Amino acid sequence: MKRSSSATRPRAAPESGRGRHSRGADRATGTAHPLLAVRLPAWRSRMLLFGLFCGFVALAVRVFYLQGGMSTQFLQRQGEARYARTLNVAANRGTITDRNGVVLASSVPARGIWAVPDDVDAGNRDLAQLARLLQVPPSELRRRLAADDRSFVYLKRQVGLDIAQRIESFNLTGIHTSREFRRLYPEGAITAQLLGFTDVEDHGQDGIEYSFERTLAGRPGLRRVIKDRLGRAVDDDWVREPIEGRDITLSIDHRIQYVAFAALRAAVEANQAQGGSIVVLDARSGEILALTNWPSFDPGRRGQLDADHLRDRAVTDTFEPGSTIKPFSIATALEAGVVTPQSTVQTSPGWMRIGGRTISDTSSHGLLTVEQIVAKSSNIGTAKIALQLPAQSLWDTLTAAGFGQAPRAGLSGAVTGRLRPPGSWRAIEQATIAYGYGVSVSLLQLARAYLVFARDGDIVPVSVMRADTPAPAVRVLRPETARAVRRMLELATSDEGTAPSARVPGFRVAGKTGTARKLRDGRYSDAYVASFVGFAPANDARVVIAVMIDEPRAGHYYGGDVAAPVFSQVAAGTLRALQVAPEAAHAIALAATEPQAMR
Amino acid sequence: MESKAWVAVLAAGLMVSALALVTSQHRSHQLFADLEAAQQATRQGEAEGNRLRIELGRASQPATIEAAARALGMRPIDPGHTAYLPPATHPARP
Repeated sequence: MKRSSSATRPRAAPESGRGRHSRGADRATGTAHPLLAVRLPAWRSRMLLFGLFCGFVALAVRVFYLQGGMSTQFLQRQGEARYARTLNVAANRGTITDRNGVVLASSVPARGIWAVPDDVDAGNRDLAQLARLLQVPPSELRRRLAADDRSFVYLKRQVGLDIAQRIESFNLTGIHTSREFRRLYPEGAITAQLLGFTDVEDHGQDGIEYSFERTLAGRPGLRRVIKDRLGRAVDDDWVREPIEGRDITLSIDHRIQYVAFAALRAAVEANQAQGGSIVVLDARSGEILALTNWPSFDPGRRGQLDADHLRDRAVTDTFEPGSTIKPFSIATALEAGVVTPQSTVQTSPGWMRIGGRTISDTSSHGLLTVEQIVAKSSNIGTAKIALQLPAQSLWDTLTAAGFGQAPRAGLSGAVTGRLRPPGSWRAIEQATIAYGYGVSVSLLQLARAYLVFARDGDIVPVSVMRADTPAPAVRVLRPETARAVRRMLELATSDEGTAPSARVPGFRVAGKTGTARKLRDGRYSDAYVASFVGFAPANDARVVIAVMIDEPRAGHYYGGDVAAPVFSQVAAGTLRALQVAPEAAHAIALAATEPQAMR
Repeated sequence: MESKAWVAVLAAGLMVSALALVTSQHRSHQLFADLEAAQQATRQGEAEGNRLRIELGRASQPATIEAAARALGMRPIDPGHTAYLPPATHPARP
């Protein structure tokens, strides 16, 4: 068609460029260019016009579609991409306080410093500064940043806000910060095993932190915000509101905890012992006022941590209690009417044979009353009395006192100990169990069991949480039996007993020593566990204190020499912290009213 | 003529309303940003308070106090050397 039309018309000039430029000149001169004389078909321009019209109509429809409210998805999506952000809102982990509100564990804001290795473009000087602030060797920092197989690498977690702000001020390309929390433990090693610790994600890993994870840990929230051009949030909408972790108040008194910790540490070091533990209970409520172990660790510095130091030995470790269990055997005999406190038992010659096995005392005590058997801690006397009892009744007493069951104190890893069913006891086993061999207990169990004597024969559950109302008590012994044993335990701290060093000036105390050989590879070794469990004041007990020193190796190993003095120190400090007036107060007070006495 | 006047009045009202809407939106955003800033300050204050409580806990540790007391020449309280005053020995003064 084009070809046929051009054939009937003059040919166009071949030099189009030149032709265009000369067009004006042609008009000016009035000479028509031959190209202008060409008549194009009208449908072409109409087609072009129609195409343009369709395009504009399409645009108009699209505009109407987007702006007219028929669909808001596209614009919303675009707007959100530019201005909406979904933010993670961290939930604070709850604070742990002692019974007086002193902070034992709390989380503070921190920052994680991370990098995209490929994006990092920092000079040696900047990296050296960064390494110094992060307290990592520059070579280690370079090694991490050279990890080309990773698009994300943490340089350091839980960095303090001040350090993080200084790092941010460098504006280093590829170095970023993220919001985190850091858990702090102001008491350090003193409460280390009791509280446990959290991991880098602020999740409880051990101790109270682990046991009460569900209470302490909150739930992070999600929040959609609209930000303006300055980056400020101008509108928001909660996708999921955060739930803050709840605070918990322990029954621990940080002053008593310190007194126990300091006394224990000194005793373990002085006796070159392998370790030790102390439990202090409120005799009225069963609350744990202190629970400490040595060796310990600083939860803030876990770089070179010895796994052996992590254990809350008082809760997780068991040992044969030795003589500290004798009062329960004697109490069972008193309850059964087999003996009275003044009944006599011949313990000479200081040893006896039962079923082909020999048991012995440290020396021959001769004829002893039941009271003296407890005071002097005679194995022979206790065994002779226990053998007059049905095994079941001794087992019943020990079970009612909590042996063989894990204390439900809210502490992780609490063990049950070992107390075999009475049906399998042979005579020698019944005798040895009566004085604390063949049965294993934790120190927490032992301390709780002594509540029976401290509380006129009943027992309450122990708790690591502060209790506003005391838990209901369960009767184990008749009150008169408990009082009778209490007198015997007081006698044990007299000059004729095994633990005169347990006494506290101004107070009457009662308690029992324990010295037990340790089992090694199924045989009794020359290593000992020295212990003392007692309460004060003896006539109206406020606290029960159990002390255990593991393998003292400085010459002394008897509970009366090693553990009883620790009891004395801890009892004195605890009674002072609880503001318990000494029984001899009136005499001291009279002296105090004299002006000279006050100087 | 009357209808044109009404249109003009309504158009003016519409303009005023639109401007008021924009102004109130802007004011709302500003207030929200202020609220955000205040909440952020609250969170920072709480974090600072928490940190100070921890510092207080550290400073009031019995071990710290004992060390400071020893440096001052004091010694731990001994029950044997403690004077106890009985309550209400003397009648209270009016």
